[in-house]
Amino acid sequence: MTTATVTVTIHEAPDVIQPRQHGKPGGLLRYCNFVTALILGIVLAALAYWITGMFTTGEALNANFVPIGINVQITAMYVGWVVGFMIGIGAFVGPIRWFLGRDLTHADAEYLAGRGQGRMKFWKYTTDHKIVGIQYLIVSMALLGFGGLLAMLIRTELGVTWAELFNPNFYNSIIGTHGIVMIIAMIVVVSGPLGNFIVPIMVGARDMAFPRLNALSIWLLVAAIPPLASNLALGGLRDGWTVYQPLADQAPVGMIGYQITIITFGFSTAIASVNLMTTIVKMRAKGMTWSRVPIFVYGIFASSLMGLIWFPMYQYSQWFALSDRVINTSFYVPAQGGSVWLYENLFWLLGHPEVYVIVLPGVAALLELMVVFLRKPLFSYKFAVAGIFGIVGLSAVVWVHHMYMTGWAPSSNYPFMLSTEMISIPISFLVLVMLGTMWRARPWTRLPMMAVYAVVWNKVIGGITGVFLSDVPVDQYMHGSMFVVAHFHYMLMGAGLFSAMAAIAYWFPKMTGRYLDNRWGSIGFWVAFGGFQLTFLSMFAAGLQGMPRRVLQFDSLFNVSNWISTIGAYIIGIGMLIFLAAVINSWRSGEIAPANPYGAKTLEAQVPTPVPPENFAVLPVITSDPYGYGSPDPYELEDEARRAALEGGEPAKVGAS
Amino acid sequence: MTIDQRPPTAEEGPEEPTNRPTPMHLFRNWLKRRYAKRLIWLTLIISAGWIAATFLAVYFMNMSGGPASAIMSEIELTMYVLAWVCAPLMGVTLAIALYSMIGGWGRVKGDKQPDQDGPGIRNNSIATIGWAVWVSALAAFLVVWGLVELANIQAFANGSVAANQQPNSQQSITVNVTGQQWVWTFAYPDQNKVTTDVLVVPINTPIYFNVTSKDVVHSFWVVEMGVKIDANPGAITNTGFTATKLGTFNIRCAELCGLHHAYMETQVKVVTQDEYNSWVRENGGVRLS
Amino acid sequence: MSVTEPLSPTTGEPVSVVASRNRLGVWFIIISCTTGSLSLLISYSYLWSLNVNSAWAPPNNAWATLWPFWAIFVGEILAGLAMRWGWKGMEKGDRGRMLAGSLISSLLLIAAFVGQVAQIMTFPFGPSDGAYASVTFWFALSNAGWVLLSSFLAFGIFNRTLAGKITATNASHAGLVAMWLVWLAGVAFIGAICTTTMQESPNTNSPDFGNFQEP
Ligand SMILES: [Cu+2]
Repeated sequence: MTTATVTVTIHEAPDVIQPRQHGKPGGLLRYCNFVTALILGIVLAALAYWITGMFTTGEALNANFVPIGINVQITAMYVGWVVGFMIGIGAFVGPIRWFLGRDLTHADAEYLAGRGQGRMKFWKYTTDHKIVGIQYLIVSMALLGFGGLLAMLIRTELGVTWAELFNPNFYNSIIGTHGIVMIIAMIVVVSGPLGNFIVPIMVGARDMAFPRLNALSIWLLVAAIPPLASNLALGGLRDGWTVYQPLADQAPVGMIGYQITIITFGFSTAIASVNLMTTIVKMRAKGMTWSRVPIFVYGIFASSLMGLIWFPMYQYSQWFALSDRVINTSFYVPAQGGSVWLYENLFWLLGHPEVYVIVLPGVAALLELMVVFLRKPLFSYKFAVAGIFGIVGLSAVVWVHHMYMTGWAPSSNYPFMLSTEMISIPISFLVLVMLGTMWRARPWTRLPMMAVYAVVWNKVIGGITGVFLSDVPVDQYMHGSMFVVAHFHYMLMGAGLFSAMAAIAYWFPKMTGRYLDNRWGSIGFWVAFGGFQLTFLSMFAAGLQGMPRRVLQFDSLFNVSNWISTIGAYIIGIGMLIFLAAVINSWRSGEIAPANPYGAKTLEAQVPTPVPPENFAVLPVITSDPYGYGSPDPYELEDEARRAALEGGEPAKVGAS
Repeated sequence: MTIDQRPPTAEEGPEEPTNRPTPMHLFRNWLKRRYAKRLIWLTLIISAGWIAATFLAVYFMNMSGGPASAIMSEIELTMYVLAWVCAPLMGVTLAIALYSMIGGWGRVKGDKQPDQDGPGIRNNSIATIGWAVWVSALAAFLVVWGLVELANIQAFANGSVAANQQPNSQQSITVNVTGQQWVWTFAYPDQNKVTTDVLVVPINTPIYFNVTSKDVVHSFWVVEMGVKIDANPGAITNTGFTATKLGTFNIRCAELCGLHHAYMETQVKVVTQDEYNSWVRENGGVRLS
Repeated sequence: MSVTEPLSPTTGEPVSVVASRNRLGVWFIIISCTTGSLSLLISYSYLWSLNVNSAWAPPNNAWATLWPFWAIFVGEILAGLAMRWGWKGMEKGDRGRMLAGSLISSLLLIAAFVGQVAQIMTFPFGPSDGAYASVTFWFALSNAGWVLLSSFLAFGIFNRTLAGKITATNASHAGLVAMWLVWLAGVAFIGAICTTTMQESPNTNSPDFGNFQEP
């Protein structure tokens, strides 16, 4: 056990001098919920659209010959939506109360945490980290479903090589929307649900450091989605998820949806990261030193840190893009002094670390759960931590490998090839930790454990093809081809999404009180895994043959591999639907799980299920790391004895060498 | 490789503490284990499979007629080198994972939690240090190889040749490439500004490209030559190649450039010097120099 | 931690525990905002060095007047110092200093905001007049946004002091706002230093858009 006897108690409400209670507990937030948010968002959006329409004429064109007037109107509409939605959900109540000096009472805080509100609390500005975790789970699954649907459309178009199903505008739009929806979904899919639900319990805290910011981050995410989704109705987002400039300037107004979404999501990410990191640094239980922190917490911390530092670059790149459209600045308009390389640099400064933002939490979750199923300590904890922070450090200096072929600074290719290939070292540390933990262990073949093997395979394929791409000469052939697409799907989906599925399966009993059906979950998982190999291995072939990415028609040379890819994609779709059905079914009527279904030693496994509102009746004190599995290896003891004997017996030899 | 991890059996009795075993002896002891031999076999098989796969990969790359330049040949060589030096690492990783998955060390099925823990190995400094050194050496080799090859292909792009060959004194040709939604235009400023939309170049002659765009970012990709550079509006980028194979090869746009990006492709015809000269004359050009 | 230290009404923890948590949170937000502002610095210096299509400079080389950048920067520095001075006083139990400091700070920030808006209105170029104009507009616009937000915070401190929420034993919010204001001045400094030190682009030989220069 990691917990020892505990003496710390919290101060109950009556002990503490309370500020004056203004009205009923919760105040204005009693009247704020998802419905009021929707209504206010739509009203403000319409109002902003109408009012700006009175001041703008549709005539004037910007540098790329796009009418400015409608851009202003649509921008105002989206801003109106986001602001109105946030007002309606109650996000501004807190700051205003702070300004007025009406601080929360204990009763207010209890109301905000959703105590005694039944199911309604999921639809409100609720601060309890467990509620926020569930909200994140639902939102990220919805995003994955939407992105997956678009992926099916893309693969259908590419598989039907004898006809053009979609017009180029729609096709390019679904490519871009699929990309950015999946990126957003993958950024939140582990850090959101598990970072919020599990991490505070895992570190022994009663809630996140800033509960109201926690609610703010999820609702900002919710507010960010409709602008993006609506782009398909407003002419589309036809420039890929990278929306390179100045092409994006030419796009219809749907592009503004993308920009508003990224700006809003940027705030959401920053807030969520600040919250997670502060919780991890400041709210760990007594005795949980940095060498006793579960490795998953390190993964979440590292991921949040990278997001916090680098996301603003991306956000600003979209601010500038928006102002190029709306107030006619020329950041990215080359005829007027702007530079496309400026955009590419700002974009990839986040764009690359973001890959690790996505992959690290998933991989760290696998490290955390595999020890439980292997019943062995995590192999070389320090090596794992070093690997994680090595990735964080190097992630800052590798972005140019996305720009090898842009010609912006050809001599920079030399140092950035160096840094990019260096990053394989910390990544390989994490691989060794996985292998070392598997070494001589008897795996318990539940779904989360089996998923670890699947992810190792995907990571190896993604990693080795990454080595090719990091090499400038090879990248000169591969860049912009389907090979790249297959590679990053192996990393983001193969390593990212499949480990997220494993992690959700593993913590499902804690979050919902029920087991995830192992049989149907596994069937879905492995069907999707098989389809995934089919899809993307043959996509590698298409890339090697020279098929550029983001095309809807191509040389007949690439037909066969595209047919195989499309069949594989449908298989993934079927597998994912089976998995989803297993999740929904288990959530509703799965087998009831005990508090610690897999015999883990981390803190979250020690609290009852469902987790009580305050998580811990008494705060725990930590006396060891959570990896105390196995008896001390008898052979290691023997080695120790032998070494001691040797050094005692032959001191001269040691000294002489 | 780890130090002896099997308990000495009753017959073997406790080991003599003063009898210091050599690393080789320990290794041989370790090799006697069932899993050691199987792991080594698995590693070898997987590595061999991977090496075979690289031949397949390069076969795919050459399906449309390449390699048609020294640059492309270097790229394919680099593919082999990268794949082969990574093969053992890939083999070991997949072998251990596979062996663990198929129950080589035993496994527990069903939904009852296993009652027995594995060995409490928390660290093994030989494994960690060895792994770190191995991977670092590998990365260092890849970096060095990559840097040298990069310098090589840049030299090829500039029309010069590798140090061990004769310097190339042939005349070179400059081509100005303009990307525009959704066509490529090639102008030959040295040949009285011949302009064409299908690139025609003579074999064994260094071709330099100045590349720009009139609207959005495109990427000038001469597939079988292994040459790619973005065409940026407001900037000029450079690349080049020397064709080593007669024939018709593909030029594609490798950067999404709007609605008809997929159709922004053309060809490069590699012809003999004589054919090239007559082509220039037919198009109203003069060989200026 | 003093014996009489008040406890947070919502979590029951000592307020100093909550304060240290808040302080770290604000630090993280500052880190995030710093990289955001760095992207402005990157944009400015990169576009300056490229001079794409020879369109960096504004028409007729009408650069922005420099002193307003520095005046606004000094105003923000003073606002931060005033808040800090008030906060230090409050910690010693001097409520008058807190009120004066936060009020001065708020007024300075309002003045900075007004000055910033006036500067934007009087730029000798529009946002569409080349790359210099674009980034300079953004420096000014983003600073206006930051200052507006900060004046809300500073006024909030004044108001909370009046309402008796900021006390000698629980003054951490004032300290946090003072910290934030120092950072705010840092942003203004980036703008001021960029516009002052980098005007004429060093690249006088940039290719014409869409054409090939003859060598
Ligand atoms: Cu193109």
